[in-house]
Amino acid sequence: MVTTRIGGYSLQNRLLVAVSVLLTVFLGLTGAVLDRAFRNSLETGVAEQLQVQIYVLLAAVDEADGDFYFSENLREPRFSQLNSKLYGFISSASDGELLRTASALDVNFQALGLNHDLGIGETRFGRLQAATGTEFFVSSYAVTWENRRSPILFSVLETTDTFAAEAAGFRNSLWSWLGGLAILLLVLQLLLLRWGLAPLRRLATDLQQIEAGESEALDTSYPRELSAVTGNLNLLIQSERKQQSRYRTTLADLAHSLKTPLAVIQGELGDDSRQSSLMREQLDRMNQIITYQLQRAVSTDNASTLARQVNVAEVIAKVVRALEKVYADKRVNISVDVDPALHFLGDERDLLEMLGNVLDNACKYGQGRVAVSATLASAAPPRMRLQIDDDGPGITVAERERVLQRGVRLDSLAQGQGIGLAVVVDIATSYGATVSVGSSELGGAAIVLMFDNIRVTA
Amino acid sequence: MRLLVVEDESLLRQQLKMGLERAGYVVDDAADGVTGLYQATEYDYDAAIIDLGLPQLDGISVITRLRAAGKRYPVLILTARGDWQDKVAGLDAGADDYVVKPFRLEEIQARLNALLRRAAGFASPAIVSGPVQLDTSAKRVSVNGEGVELTAYEYKTLEYLMLHPDQVISKSELTEHLYAQDYDRDSNVLEVFVRRLRQKLDPEQTLHPIETVRGQGYRMRAMD
Repeated sequence: MVTTRIGGYSLQNRLLVAVSVLLTVFLGLTGAVLDRAFRNSLETGVAEQLQVQIYVLLAAVDEADGDFYFSENLREPRFSQLNSKLYGFISSASDGELLRTASALDVNFQALGLNHDLGIGETRFGRLQAATGTEFFVSSYAVTWENRRSPILFSVLETTDTFAAEAAGFRNSLWSWLGGLAILLLVLQLLLLRWGLAPLRRLATDLQQIEAGESEALDTSYPRELSAVTGNLNLLIQSERKQQSRYRTTLADLAHSLKTPLAVIQGELGDDSRQSSLMREQLDRMNQIITYQLQRAVSTDNASTLARQVNVAEVIAKVVRALEKVYADKRVNISVDVDPALHFLGDERDLLEMLGNVLDNACKYGQGRVAVSATLASAAPPRMRLQIDDDGPGITVAERERVLQRGVRLDSLAQGQGIGLAVVVDIATSYGATVSVGSSELGGAAIVLMFDNIRVTA
Repeated sequence: MRLLVVEDESLLRQQLKMGLERAGYVVDDAADGVTGLYQATEYDYDAAIIDLGLPQLDGISVITRLRAAGKRYPVLILTARGDWQDKVAGLDAGADDYVVKPFRLEEIQARLNALLRRAAGFASPAIVSGPVQLDTSAKRVSVNGEGVELTAYEYKTLEYLMLHPDQVISKSELTEHLYAQDYDRDSNVLEVFVRRLRQKLDPEQTLHPIETVRGQGYRMRAMD
């Protein structure tokens, strides 16, 4: 039996876990790299913009009497708007702030802590955390101004919140896309796995069918990777079957070759000497033991043989025809009541053996009235009730249990009814059927067999 | 009564042949299916005993073919396997009864007697023709309830005639069914047996149970 525990050791789960981990790592790294690249390009953009604004400042600034002023309107309107988030300063290390744009009137210059140690002509771009808590991108450019000794620093600052909002927006949409992609890929991968592993599941069902006897061999239409396995399995099944049938044949041959010499010995024995009567008794026992053990051996492994479908009515008709011939002198009257739609799933030989034994006993021990009926006891699941009635002496309550014991040794069985029924019980049990003995309305015994291995056809 | 025994095991075949001959039957034997079938269809037997497991041609086929050839005499099958599939197959093919190996000779004889009687249309072991009563199982004959002592050959002759009442039985048919093949058919032994039978059954010459049909043979008169 193939058992799959949920979340247990399964190829599909292993592959699923492995691929999911791989997918997460891959998509995570991709996301991180893309995010970083986007922020970098965004920052570069900001740096270039600020650089341009520095040139704007440079072009508009003039000096008169040591005071700096804007000689013309700045071409960047945000410089003229209060708190526009774009601020320009002109300062020097020795004099501190020299001029600021109109937008920066509310900004605390001291809190900015601008760095003045730039070489002449040097541009520096970076981030700056003001003492007030606001974060800025800052671009500074140092120039020499006419008669001034210390270099003049042109600085343009822009708060980072626009940048941060843009970066966050990108990050959100990036991760939601990547997440969606991951889910899509996982679903696709699950489907692929199911499709890829389908032949394995089919193999399991096929094997179960063989076990249940519904099919004879594995399909040949498996993928190349599996066909080596299925081919070998088929060979194994075949050789097992062959061995089984060889086993049966060997047993039949053994019985044949033992019984014929037994018959010869029996024939050679004189008719009435005391010695020969003892030998006869022993010969009889040997013969019965052979018969009984042979029937047991042949009928005990039905479960694994290929199940066939046998029409119950036809088999009963055959046995009845045969027995009417055998008991012609006794003029037995066998009444038959069989549902023609009932089919027995199993070996015809076994059904014949069970029916033959029970019906033969009924004819032998009865006075000539026998009834056999096969009816559907329940429709779902299908169940067949096979009953054989006779008008013989019946089986006493005390004997019933003994007679129905499975695997009773022959020595301990009574002659006649007992032997036949022991074989019937053995075969019936191997099919999972039950046998019970009761009293018949005809006056004798009623043997009832209940079978589940039944198919009803229209 | 002429019987055919088809059995491949030579010891068993000899035993059956000798045992049945001691019991008063004329027995032909065959060791394989092909020979058996040839004999079974070529000669007119009163009954045949056929083993199911035969070389060359199995017993079921032999029975099927001899029935197809129009042979109606009873057939008793011997089976070693003893399972119902074999028995039913044999009976379905046209056999009339079965005996499972190993068997006792008495069992074979009892079954044969019953089959022969049934084939002749008599239901009980006792065949009655007027005052003459013949018990096929005990092999005893009585007239008006009084036992009559017959020799084995006399009994066989009477039994064959009584099993075929109101039929003219030719001398050659009688000889063939009662005596072994190598018997001298021209001898007048049969006439001697019939004459002695008439004397023993009908000492006062009032019943005339066995008629002579001139140029054709003998006939047992059916009497109530």
